[in-house]
This record gives sequence, C-alpha cells and structure tokens, in this order.
Amino acid sequence: MTCKIKTLNNNNRMSTQELLQTISRKIEEGVTDFEIDACGQHDIGGSCWSKEGKPLKFTITNPGQRVGAMAMDGTKIVVEGSAPADVGWLNSGGEIVVKGDGGDTSAHCAAGGKIYIGGRVGTRSGALMKHDPKFEPPEFWVLKNTGSFSFEFMSGGIAVVCGDGCGELPSVLGNRSCVGMVGGVVYVRGKVEGLANCVEKVKLDKLDKDFLKSGMELFLEKIGRLELKDELLDFSKWVKIIPLPKELKEKKISVKEFKEKEWFKEGLFGDLVEDDGAVYELAQTGDGRLRKPVWDEKLCVGCDLCLSNCPQKAVIKEDKTYKSVDEKCIGCGICSAVCPREAWRMV
Amino acid sequence: MAAVKVNEIHKNDLPWIIEYDESKCIQCGKCVAACSFNAIRPAVELRKSNSITNKGKTERVLVIKQNISLDNYCRGCGMCANVCPNGAIKAVRNRDDKYSVVYRAVKADSFKKGGRSNLNTEGRTLDKIKIGRISQMTDPSLDAQRHTFELRTPFGRVLKADKLNFGKEGEALIETSKLPPNRWIYPVIFGDMSIGAVSWRMWEAMAIATAYLNEVMGIPIRMCTGEGGIPTKLLKSRYVKYMILQIASGHFGWNRIIKAMPDMTEDPAGILIKIGQGAKPGDGGLLLASKVARYVQEIRGVPKADLLSPPTHQGLYSIEESVQKMFLSMNAAFNFKVPVAIKVAASVTSVSVYNNLLRDPYNIVGGFFLDGLAAGTGAAHEISLNHTGHPITSKLRDCYLAAVHQGRQGEIPLFAGGGLGQSGSFAADAFKLICLGANGVFTGRMLMEIAGCVGSDTGKCNACNTGLCPAGIAAQNDNLVKRLDVDKVAQNLVNYILATDIELKKLMAPIGCSSLPIGRSDALITVDKHISNRLDIQYGC
Repeated sequence: MTCKIKTLNNNNRMSTQELLQTISRKIEEGVTDFEIDACGQHDIGGSCWSKEGKPLKFTITNPGQRVGAMAMDGTKIVVEGSAPADVGWLNSGGEIVVKGDGGDTSAHCAAGGKIYIGGRVGTRSGALMKHDPKFEPPEFWVLKNTGSFSFEFMSGGIAVVCGDGCGELPSVLGNRSCVGMVGGVVYVRGKVEGLANCVEKVKLDKLDKDFLKSGMELFLEKIGRLELKDELLDFSKWVKIIPLPKELKEKKISVKEFKEKEWFKEGLFGDLVEDDGAVYELAQTGDGRLRKPVWDEKLCVGCDLCLSNCPQKAVIKEDKTYKSVDEKCIGCGICSAVCPREAWRMV
Repeated sequence: MAAVKVNEIHKNDLPWIIEYDESKCIQCGKCVAACSFNAIRPAVELRKSNSITNKGKTERVLVIKQNISLDNYCRGCGMCANVCPNGAIKAVRNRDDKYSVVYRAVKADSFKKGGRSNLNTEGRTLDKIKIGRISQMTDPSLDAQRHTFELRTPFGRVLKADKLNFGKEGEALIETSKLPPNRWIYPVIFGDMSIGAVSWRMWEAMAIATAYLNEVMGIPIRMCTGEGGIPTKLLKSRYVKYMILQIASGHFGWNRIIKAMPDMTEDPAGILIKIGQGAKPGDGGLLLASKVARYVQEIRGVPKADLLSPPTHQGLYSIEESVQKMFLSMNAAFNFKVPVAIKVAASVTSVSVYNNLLRDPYNIVGGFFLDGLAAGTGAAHEISLNHTGHPITSKLRDCYLAAVHQGRQGEIPLFAGGGLGQSGSFAADAFKLICLGANGVFTGRMLMEIAGCVGSDTGKCNACNTGLCPAGIAAQNDNLVKRLDVDKVAQNLVNYILATDIELKKLMAPIGCSSLPIGRSDALITVDKHISNRLDIQYGC
C-alpha cells in the first residue's frame, strides 16, 4: 500500500517535524511505500527502518536539504527533479536517486549505499566519503560535473563523474578538488584542472572498465538516460584519480643532492678559501689542530715523560730525537705540560 | 710556589668556572684540544702521596686546569663537556663574577662582546600575547594541513588603487607608466649577516638553503646578504634573484657588485639600505681584526684591521636626504627594476622616519625594516648591546598605526626583527608581529641557533666577536670553520623553515585566514593591561 503525503494544503505547510513523525508512525503501521509531495522539508527518507526489516521506498518531489541523510540499508529514495544541499549526507546504505541536480556537499560523508545524480552537484560534493571494510564501499554517481573543492578529505568509496555535456567547462571537477584525499577513487570523464597535489591521475585498467561498464547501465537506467550509454562508455576520455602514495608525495631531492647537482661545483667560496668540505671533529688531528707541539732539542733531557704520557701515542722517539706524529696528535699539550724543561711548546 | 696577591686576576673574577672531576678523567686531552678559547690546559700538580709505599713523598699528578686570564677565559660554551668521554669536566656559571669590572679596570677599554643582549630587563611582550580570536561558529576555521594557504607578502612599494597607472589601449588594459617594482616573497627573510660576521661555511649553508627552498620546495624565501661582500660567482648566477643585497655605511664589497653588473643574468631580489641595527643602535658595524681573514680582506677590499663602519651613511644628514640619495641611487643602480628597502634600529624616532618615508613622492621606498633591541650582533660594545635600543613590538605597532591613521597601511611594507624565537617559538613570534602590522619578519639569530650555536641570552658563549666561535658559525679560524657541516646546516635550515611553514598555517587556520593576516590585531589578546593599552589590542584575563 502506498502512502501519499501532500505537505501543502490550502497554503498550510506541514512542518518537517510533523512530516517525519507522520512517516515514522506510518512505518510502524506497516507502510513501506511513500509518495511525498514535499515543500522543502529536510531529512526525508533518512534514519528510518521497518521493524520487520522490510524495504522502504520513497518517491519525493521538491524535498528540502539533506534528503536521504543517514539513509539505511533497504531504503530506496527517488527524487523527481532536483534536490538542494547535502543529498545522502552520511548515507549508510540507502539507494538515493536524484533525477535532476544535487546541491552542494552531495554525498558528504557517505560511507555506504549508492547515490545517483541525474545532473550536476555543487561544491564540496563527495567530501569525506569513507569506506568501512566490513561493508560494501559507497558509490556516488554524477551525470554531469561537480563544484569546486569536491572530494575534499575523501578517504574511501567510489565516485563517478561522467562529465556529460561539460565540454565547455575548464574542469569537470571545478577547482581545487581532492584536497587532502587519502583514500578511495574518483573516476572522471573530461577535462580536469586544478587538482590538489596529493593525488594523481592514472589510466583505467581492466577492473576499472569492468566496474564502469556494469555500473553505468544501472545508473543510466535509474536516472532514465540509457540513451547515453555508448557515449559515456567510450573510455578514451576517462581518468581515475587516486591519492598519491606517501613516499611519492614527499619525493623531493635532498639538500645534499641539490648541492651536488645544482650548486657551484667548487663551492661558493672555492676561489677564495681552501676547503675540501671535510667536517672536523672537536678534537681533530693533523692540520685541523688548534694548537701544535714543537720540540726543542736543546732543552730536552730525554726523560721520556712526554712519550709515556701522550694519550694519543703520538710522541715517538728515534735515537735521541722526539717527534709528534701529526696524524695522531690532537694538540692537547700534555707533552708540554709534563715536560720538566719546557722542551715541548704549543704553538 | 708563586705568591698570590689580591690585585691579580683570580678564578673567581671570571664568568665561568671549570668543574673538573679528576677521578673520572682518563687524561685523553680532548677537552683541551677542543677548547677554542684556550681556557683550559693540562698541568702537573704536586701532591703529597697517600699510597702505602710512597706515603708522605711528593708526587706529580696530571690534571686539567682553568687558565686565569682576561683574554683566554672560559665562555661557558661547553665543548669540553661535549667531547669528554667520561663527563669529567664542565663549565659552571660563576654567579658572583667580577669580570666586567676587572676587564675595564685593567684594560681601560670598553668591554666588547658578540651574540645577544644579556640583561633582558624588558621581558618579552610577545609572550604575553595569545591568538585569542578563534573562528568556530562565526566563520569557519581552516584545515592547516590540507587546505591551501597564501603565505606570500609584498616586498616593494605598493601603490593605492587610485594611483595605479592603468589605461586602455583598444580593449586591452595597459600600464600607462611604469609601476614600482614589487616582489611577492615568503614572510620570513634570512636576516643580514655578513661574510666576515659569519664564517664562509655558515654563509654558504644559508645561501644553499635559500636556493633549495625556492627551487625545490617552492617557498619564495629571500636572504639578505649583510654587508661584507658577495662572491662574484653568486652575483652572476641565477641564485642572485633570491638575494637582497645590503648596503651599509661601510659600503664593503660594492666594488665587486658594480663590476659584476654587466654579467648579471638576473636582478637581485632587492636592496636593503642598512642605517642601523637593533643590537647596537646608533653604532656602526664592527668587525674586529681577529675576524678579518684573508678572504674577508679580499672580498671587502680591506687590510687586516678592526673594521668599523661609521654610525651613519656619511653625507646623509636628514631623512629627506636619505630618500633622495640612497633610495634614488639604489633604485637607479638597477634601473628601477629592483625594490629598495631601508633598515633602521627600532627607536623612539622610528615613527617619524616612517612617516617621512610614507610621503615618498617618487614611489621608490620599497620597505621599512625595523630591528628591535633583542637582536644579535657579531660584535658590539657591551654597553650598547645591553643598554641601548627599543623593543620591537610596540615600535612596529606604532609605525603600522601611523600608516593606518593616514589610510596608507601596506604602501611601504613593514618587516620586523629582533629576538624572534627567543622563547622557543619563532613562528608564533612572527605570526603575532604580522597580526600587529608587519608584512613579514627577518631573523639572524634563529639561523645561528639552527646551525648549532651554543650561546644563550643569559651569557653563555656570546663570543661571536672573537672569531673563535667553537661551532664554526661566527668563526674565522679555518680549523674552527671546518667544524661546521655545510650540508647538515643547510638541511636543518630548510627543515626549520618547513616546520615554521606548518606552524604559521596552524595559526592562520584557526583564525580563518587563508592569506597572511597582516594587521589583523583583532586576532590577538593580551593578558597584560599595559600591553593592551599600548598596542591597542584586546585585554583578556
């Protein structure tokens, strides 16, 4: 039995609360099929279910915002004509068909079910769509184009934007779509410009084509545009948008590579200073020492204290000549400190 | 044993005392080898033996001792502790030191130091300001990580809409006369540290980081060269377009710049006329002879001597004259294609200068850089560093509001610097100054910190004037300079700017701004009533 509800009688408009409570009551009475002549009431078709688990069907004209918001498994909604913002917001399993256009943020946060739009949708549509792996992914089909910022922060699910009749548009997805997209896939037919840099456009593979073939016919049938099938299934104009893998997103040459490839070969100061680029230790040997020991034969008494105290074993003795080996000495001055006759001087 | 007399220099006179634990020391000598200040030495002490076999006899013990000297004294840099394998040695602050008295009394000279102002009597105004206007229901906040933001700011003279010289040629919009040059740049400028003030490795690391941020990361940051000459090959390279060339009163290095002009393939990013600097306002540049290394002599065209830039540009006696001579000539030098800005120390008189510049009849004043008293310096007399100057915040605000009252804000972009990041968050300081009216900020001290400076605002190290910088940043001793790892410093500078970029967006997003909130002082509150009154921002408690 179909329950017909007319929400405008003699210029008296039924409030949203009254309409939604009427629908609830009728469902409890066993009604599963509604024809609603709405007058801008919001949230029609959402968050309702029959206790017996029977499917519910809504045919709606002139709905308000959020038609099919929080729609559940088993709910089918058909909007004859267009619907304003938030069609299928948080859709969890419903099948929502809008034969005309959808408003802004259509399919926002949808995580289940299917949304079919027979025209275009507004800005931020498909934003934050998600996919819970325990259930089927949400699908969001649009015949024409989306507004800017669509699929923002999308993290799962499948969107299909067919670009029908959009040849004149600079971009079928508006500008700055897919910002912050981390999951899911958007299939698009036609020109796409101004995408966020966190996603990439790739060619369709066989699985993609199979999906579109099987889904397209159903979609076009739902919106009553089957005549477009052959044109829309010409895969030459389709691309798939997916998020870039993290490692690709951050793939930039390092500063060291930049220096090696792009910077001055001998260094910026190569013709002014001698610098091979070696990085010295705090206690450096060789020419890098801050101070060096110098031995004076005339003062030496040959007591060997320098020899035995040098921590680096840098002091060596050949016959009666002492020497500090540059490659070992760090210039600590212990040889000089322990020498009873100042035969070692630090310079 | 040498006699000890009262009027000699004693360990307790010195600002840092070496704490040495003989029981942990293995006498490896590394602490002494590492000390660039020659503040410690190995020494042999004579002791009475306690061992059973030698009891009562004198024995010689090798230890590490602190040098007691007015010249080679410990600056507390901590390199000895860093290099010691056993934690046997460290420098400990001497709270009761007499160094500043003894130095003046013995040397009859003003005490010189580099680094930062160490008194900090003024406190930090910026820390008492919070970002208090958070968009929630009034207008949506943005997503800092994922939304797109425009962080660029104009550098160069900005004309009011009714002064733009546009006309029509057929259907096309054309410029009827030339517009002043203007560049859209990142709101952080690598602040002017000269070759000489910093080591060649430090300077090159800054230049590489600048080039990398521009060419790889797409961040249009600019580096001001400081006034110590510029390598000719940089001038002739494409990288010069990221460089703001500085001219100060010493005019060091300009001979090579002029000679390179015919071979320059790109215009520089801008010219900065340095009149004064925040750390020693009213004083000219100072590079002590110990830092005038051979290559510094060459590039600047000077002998090895103390290099003192005059406190003012000789031949300039008034603001009007400075506009006419410096601005006109510097604009003319690059055929009026390069923005020319001016840098002065923040001062009670800053607003007069800014007001005068705002009259700029020739549209040649491309920016006003204000440098506050907490800025760093390569070398200054302590008396200037600690006792002269003006905090940046209120003076920046004064200049901005002076322009607002004439309806001319934004026409001459304001850039602020001086102690930014002192309490740990450079981005927050930058953001607050931008909200108070700055188009951008400049910093030198943060770059030093990022490069591994061991100094502090409370007197640690601060020996930039000596050329003995233990980190190789402000050093001019070859072996110390070579301690600095150019690749790492450049990468760390890049990383810090990337972090700053994230943090700036993290502050722009909650106030709902996707472009720089220049002058958006309504975004700020302060918990201090005086600051609220002085800066004309909301008081919150």
